[in-house]
Amino acid sequence: MAEQTKPWIESRLPVGATLQTHIAGRMMPRDLPYAATLGVLILGAVAFLTLSGLVLSVYYDPWHAFDSVQFITREVNYGWLIKGFHATGTTMLFATVYLVFFRALLSREYKAPGDLVWFLKILLLLTLLLVGWLGYTLADGAESYWSLHNAALTASRLDGLPGAIGDWFFGGPETASTLERMAVLHAALAFLVFLVVAIHYAAKRAIARQPARPVALHPYYTAQYFVAFCVFALIFAVLVFFAPHLGQNPLNLAAPSGLVVPDAVSPPWYLLPEAGLANAGGGALGHVLAFIAAFAVLAALPWLDRSAPGSLPSGRARFLTYLLALDLIALCLTETAIPSALSSILAAIFTGWYFLHFLVLTPLVTASEPK
Amino acid sequence: MAELAKVEQEIEVAVDVVKRDFLKILTIAGGAVAAGAIAWPFIDALNPSAESLALARPIVEVGGIAPNSALRIVWLGLPIYIRKLTDKQIADNQFLIPASLPDSADYNSRVKPGYETFVVVVGLNTGVPCELLGNDPSEARGPYDGWSCPCDGSVYDPLGRVRIGPAKKNLAIPKFTFLSDSQIQFG
Repeated sequence: MAEQTKPWIESRLPVGATLQTHIAGRMMPRDLPYAATLGVLILGAVAFLTLSGLVLSVYYDPWHAFDSVQFITREVNYGWLIKGFHATGTTMLFATVYLVFFRALLSREYKAPGDLVWFLKILLLLTLLLVGWLGYTLADGAESYWSLHNAALTASRLDGLPGAIGDWFFGGPETASTLERMAVLHAALAFLVFLVVAIHYAAKRAIARQPARPVALHPYYTAQYFVAFCVFALIFAVLVFFAPHLGQNPLNLAAPSGLVVPDAVSPPWYLLPEAGLANAGGGALGHVLAFIAAFAVLAALPWLDRSAPGSLPSGRARFLTYLLALDLIALCLTETAIPSALSSILAAIFTGWYFLHFLVLTPLVTASEPK
Repeated sequence: MAELAKVEQEIEVAVDVVKRDFLKILTIAGGAVAAGAIAWPFIDALNPSAESLALARPIVEVGGIAPNSALRIVWLGLPIYIRKLTDKQIADNQFLIPASLPDSADYNSRVKPGYETFVVVVGLNTGVPCELLGNDPSEARGPYDGWSCPCDGSVYDPLGRVRIGPAKKNLAIPKFTFLSDSQIQFG
């Protein structure tokens, strides 16, 4: 039966041949490090989040958001686990994406001809941040509620076009249907993530050099992916079962109240760096402009980096990249602190360092490298 | 000497192949178990929860129903009539010849053994789907002291068997069990 069916399908729809040419038989360089598996892990995490999100969306009710999350946790079979999968999956996804960015900075992947791939990476991060924030508002805890409320209120206070866009996005400063919109956008944009991942993959393949001593992807790299996946799954399982609320403000587990404002409205950990950078600007428009500026310097990196094409980063450049990572972690920590004079000074220093790194230190250090 | 080394090498290769096959089977088996363990929560999450199953299988107290009257409950969106028969209603219907009825059914097929005084039916006319009258003795019950339909005039006996058309079928009997003399559970 199978011997007859296979050629019957294959002659009409060449699935096997396509998989063989484009995936299994793809020629890869011999010595890719384990860090190169992060892309596959991102795709896996996004697929996993989509699956668990589909199950959650069956029971989620934006009109009684907090109660429906409680219902999922307490009544739905394995609802607590699916919710944990979704929350921890987000943590794992962002951890992987931030690692990919760190690796790209260290290895200078963003230099031409990798600049388009770099821009697509930034687009992917922006999409994920939006989807992540929308998902965070859907939890409708005390923190989520105020995050959404502040955002909608801020948007409606803006004048002109930004205000009009904000009102269109949120449906006005205070409407009951806002969470319904957030739920629809969260799901719709999640599917957009797949598209961005696919385009990024195509762009990356287009500039890949023909390896000198190639090996086929299967079984050499499928074995490597399998090991990487096992380690990923192990970390994931430990986090799901032992730290299901990792990086979340514990107040978000309390029901929201329109009359009780939390001491500090801090987003989950994966939004903290961007929140910290956005807070550098004063006022509603200032936050937006600071956020845009933070991503503009990232996007300008192919030009800010003055090093010769194909040159490996010097020790100083690598040190600065590590320092930047520490700087962003420190910025996250100050973001979670209860606002005080000290925390605002520290936040200003850490934000300043971020812009200093890209606008001053990177051009200086890379220009001084031997050409 | 050289031959011995060659034989040793061949054995080593054979052992390696056996080892590799074993590891392959072990990995696939472990992977299948892991995939199943991950898939099951996703599948089971879409199964009805214990709460909704409990709501779908309600327990009803029937001990307080007076003879010659019926309790009306709604189960799965259908009106369910639970009727306690009088001795006269039992005597009138017990020895009827089933073949003489429009939809032949004997007494025992309409009640549960051991609880022959209770009739549990879906209270919807089987012709035009109207809710039947006759739960209370003051309502129009028709000539057989059962139920009557206010819409097309069909008449049923106390066991829910159709006696006068236009309806052609007896009243449906829902799925239920007696937990005790005074409790029944639906579903």
